[in-house]
Amino acid sequence: MAAHVLRLRIALLLGAVRGDAGHVRRTILGLILLVGATTTACWALLTLRDAETDVVLAVIVLGGSAVTLGFALAPLIAGATDPLDPRRFVVLGLPSGRLAAVLAVAAFLSVPTLALLAVSVCTAIVWAEHGVPWAAGAVGVFLGLATCVLLAHVCMALTALFLRERRSRELSGLFALAILVVVVPVGVFFASLEWGGQLPTQLAEAVSALSHTPLGAAWAFPGRVAQGSPESPTSVLLIALATLVGLGLAWWLLVRRLLSRTERPVPVRERGGLGWFAVAPGTPGGAVAARSLVYWLRDRRYLVNIFVIPVAALLTSVPLLIAGVPLEIVALVPVPIVALFLGWLPHNDLAYDSTAVWMHIASGVRGFSDRIGRLVPILLIGLPILALMIPVSIFLHGRWALLPAMVGVSASLFLTGLGLSSISSVASPYAVSRPGESPFQQPQRTSASGAISQGMVMVGAVVLSAPALWWGWLALTGDIDAATMALWGGLAVGVTVFISGIAIGSVVFERRGGRLMEFAESV
Amino acid sequence: MTASLPMPEDAHPDLPDGDRGGARRTGSPMRSLPPKPETPAEVVAAEAIAGADAAATARAPKRPAKAKRAKVAPTPGPPPPLPPELVIPPKPPLPPVEDIALPPAQAFVPEPTAAAESAVVETSPELVRDAEPALAPAFDPSSEPALEPEPEPILESAPHLVAEPASAVVAPLPATVPAEPEADDRTLDVPSPDRPAEPALSAPRADAPPAEEFGPDVLVAASVDTGADALVVKGITKAFGETRAVDGIDLTVPAGIFYGLVGPNGAGKTTTLSMIAGLLRPDRGAIRVNGVDAASDPLGAKRQMGVLPDRLRTFDRLTGRQLLHYYGVLRGLPSAVVESRTKDLARAFDLSDALGRAVSDYSAGMTKKVMLAGAMIHSPRLLVLDEPFESVDPVSSAIILDILKTYVSHGGTVILSSHGMDLVERVCSRVAVIVAGQVLAEGTIDEVRGELTLEQRFIELAGGLSDVEGLEWLHTFSD
Repeated sequence: MAAHVLRLRIALLLGAVRGDAGHVRRTILGLILLVGATTTACWALLTLRDAETDVVLAVIVLGGSAVTLGFALAPLIAGATDPLDPRRFVVLGLPSGRLAAVLAVAAFLSVPTLALLAVSVCTAIVWAEHGVPWAAGAVGVFLGLATCVLLAHVCMALTALFLRERRSRELSGLFALAILVVVVPVGVFFASLEWGGQLPTQLAEAVSALSHTPLGAAWAFPGRVAQGSPESPTSVLLIALATLVGLGLAWWLLVRRLLSRTERPVPVRERGGLGWFAVAPGTPGGAVAARSLVYWLRDRRYLVNIFVIPVAALLTSVPLLIAGVPLEIVALVPVPIVALFLGWLPHNDLAYDSTAVWMHIASGVRGFSDRIGRLVPILLIGLPILALMIPVSIFLHGRWALLPAMVGVSASLFLTGLGLSSISSVASPYAVSRPGESPFQQPQRTSASGAISQGMVMVGAVVLSAPALWWGWLALTGDIDAATMALWGGLAVGVTVFISGIAIGSVVFERRGGRLMEFAESV
Repeated sequence: MTASLPMPEDAHPDLPDGDRGGARRTGSPMRSLPPKPETPAEVVAAEAIAGADAAATARAPKRPAKAKRAKVAPTPGPPPPLPPELVIPPKPPLPPVEDIALPPAQAFVPEPTAAAESAVVETSPELVRDAEPALAPAFDPSSEPALEPEPEPILESAPHLVAEPASAVVAPLPATVPAEPEADDRTLDVPSPDRPAEPALSAPRADAPPAEEFGPDVLVAASVDTGADALVVKGITKAFGETRAVDGIDLTVPAGIFYGLVGPNGAGKTTTLSMIAGLLRPDRGAIRVNGVDAASDPLGAKRQMGVLPDRLRTFDRLTGRQLLHYYGVLRGLPSAVVESRTKDLARAFDLSDALGRAVSDYSAGMTKKVMLAGAMIHSPRLLVLDEPFESVDPVSSAIILDILKTYVSHGGTVILSSHGMDLVERVCSRVAVIVAGQVLAEGTIDEVRGELTLEQRFIELAGGLSDVEGLEWLHTFSD
């Protein structure tokens, strides 16, 4: 069986370069690029032969972890399908254990794996230069390679099981967003390190931590051997082996499951055309979230609101710069302002529905579903924005010790704003331009209630965040220990206000259903 | 629909095939045996109409049919289930010819059986009633006049209508017709109070020329279990500022009927329906939906209702499919169910091609249809429809009516408001006229309109047509 499957695998590989001219051209181009990248990576690695052991270890562990993570995420994001999907073998009635083993072996025969093999052989060569025995190097290569391959296949099988019918542009967008949120801060962190010819201590710590995770353990093993025995390489080896065994087990179970269960045809059918609704969970809250997302992304009135945020950030920081305030201080200003505005944005979201809100009321949607669903878009927009802005602003400021304080202050402002908005949007909505009208065409308002609720949310968020702001100020002006206080204090206040705001808003929504309709119909 | 209602499938077995065949062969008005059991209402209606028409023209063929049936009837060992209503076709004023036919019938469970067949075939009990009118004319033209003149033979009138003939007819029935146990009891009791309503119902159809198109609607009379009211509104009041939009309205809507709200512009219909739907909270008064108090258990009450508001927006940036999905999921249905129902509804409402487009690009009628589909997606017991046919083209409204009729015939209840008097007259079995926030008249169509047409009566109730004065300048043209 193994020989058959391997032959099949090779045939599939060759088959990739068959087909119409355009396809072949694209494939060849991709291959050339991959070969180029691999060659570059190999060459770069080989130049490390005379570098310090610590540096080599850092580079290989970080790079290896990133590659391993990539192997795990690629199927999730790109929707790559396994050409040797175990389900294709269902009809043959093969024993699942053997099939799992054979497929795992065949999985090594793939273009990305071959590229990875070349690179990891280079790492072995580098380690050999640093006095690592060949055996250890080979073990490292094998472990790293096997981990990547198995991880990729486990993830592909999981995707096939759970994500196939939910795959959509929206979902891919969410994944991309999540990666952006992770990658940018990490990149900023690296950029901010003071290399100065040697390894910064923060990086050394990060490498040490990574080498004890499943992602980096296999790559770290030869390096640990090379380092002598500050930390025994055994623990790293054990972690890598355990990872491999765990993945193998998961693969075996998944193959069994894929072979013994048929796909449920129900959700697969007609999943299309639902957009965000297909991504969101099929609960009232999920539906409200999906609907809000559609509106946030498509309705100009919301887009204008989002547009206000960068303007506010600029308006506050540019004058300060002009006035001669040093950049290190000014860099810290926009983030809390943006956090505050993001939290304040949904303070009148219900009014934007206009009379369409009847659907929520007539359906008897629970207040909680309505409240939390409406906050999902702003969370999806706000969290990445803050996650990107905070490291950048700290980078500009230059003192990473302030990072916790900044996180705490921003979280506090953002979350208290959202909590208060949840209440105000049901308790005192005010007229806005109607759906389809120009967002700049504001309706006439006969009372000042709109201004009051706007102001209340804004001021309330600042007042509730006062402790975090105070600790942040302390951290900035001297006592750096206050940064930690600001982080936990800010998070605690923010989460508390957020949860209680949603709870109160839910109750108000359910109590005031009739009033809300009267309001909606009156404007 | 309630479990107790006999499904078409249940009914069939009881029917002697021979009977059906006979009926068809003779080409009597009863001919239309439910070819498609799914839409019993239509069938009944068709029959009824056919009966009405045929009654005038071809009476002769009918009688033979009956005679045949009468003979055949005895053969079916298990007596077909006769709903109580069957008794109704009290043909007291039956001409002698009929009498001749009848005696044997009684002996063998004659017409009643015939009635039973048609009725039973139709399945649901309400339908049976509908069938009666059809029968009545069938027996003899003379019977129609007798029935029609009486405006709304309400409960009280019932007894005298039914009179002895009824009891006479009834007597044999119980013996032959087992059907549902309760039905039996009622049959024995004879003139059940609800019955009389149907003759009244049949009448409007005969009068209204357009009846032919939608004829069936009229026939869908009160549901069997009159005990349960789908909606009870007691003294609800709503004031907006100084104006009292709704001022102490009482309504009782029995389950399984079309209920119409009519009134001039600004009379408070929409406000009333909004309060029923739970969109507005009444200042005073109580609303019970299927026995659930809307004030103390608003979610429970809302769960029972599907709502189609008028002039309220919907989330029109969603595509049709997304909107229907939203409707369903908000109601707590699992996505898979929502998807399959979306497909079914789209097919029924002829929206399949439009599902991928944003609802804001729909025409007014299409929007109405998609919102109506959304109101039904969780299969509520009560549909609250505000102007459901406004701006809907005739073909679509015929389709919608069809869907609604089937819904009602299976035990659903529809309360709708409309300006279209003949639509209300055709469709609704009961109607309330609301003027200036108060119910000025309420009852079956015949009760409300008396000798006038509904429109005339409505105008009268609404204050009449005052002579328009002060527009003389309009009659002297400026050029």
